[in-house]
Amino acid sequence: MELADRAVGFLLSMISLSIFTYYTFWVIILPFVDSDHFIHKYFLPQEYAILIPVFAGVVLLSFLCVFIGLVMLKSKKKKAQ
Amino acid sequence: MKHIVKIITLLVTISALWTGLLQMSLVPRSHIWLLPIYFIVALGCYGLLMVGIGLMRFPTCPKEALLLQQDISEAKEFLKQSGIDVGSD
Repeated sequence: MELADRAVGFLLSMISLSIFTYYTFWVIILPFVDSDHFIHKYFLPQEYAILIPVFAGVVLLSFLCVFIGLVMLKSKKKKAQ
Repeated sequence: MKHIVKIITLLVTISALWTGLLQMSLVPRSHIWLLPIYFIVALGCYGLLMVGIGLMRFPTCPKEALLLQQDISEAKEFLKQSGIDVGSD
């Protein structure tokens, strides 16, 4: 159990670090690189740098709202019994 | 109360810097418009990293857990001898 927790923690930190590095490269460094450089092949166009985070945020927020609603419904049912 | 003042100062500083960058237009505008979203993404990454690190070095004390279990069983025995119902194990 402890090992699994540790593995999950390691995975989470790795994911967050890789997302941060990739996004930093994409947003901060790429505008200063020539547009015909080969490195541009590994990155999506600049519009997606806005679209993907906004989409992810909306999905996360809706998940949170659904979860809270479900928990409230459950607690109400328990009270009624 | 102090903490919120700190956070608000930080936000104001960042937004002032951002507006300054927007006004100076050293870099093309479309890239500067990306910076707030970049900050939000960085904040999310920081939160995820902190959760991961907290999970990785979650403090457990197995020796103390064993001692606590011993204490519990001892107390149950004592209570049973004095005729108090403590339920089955």
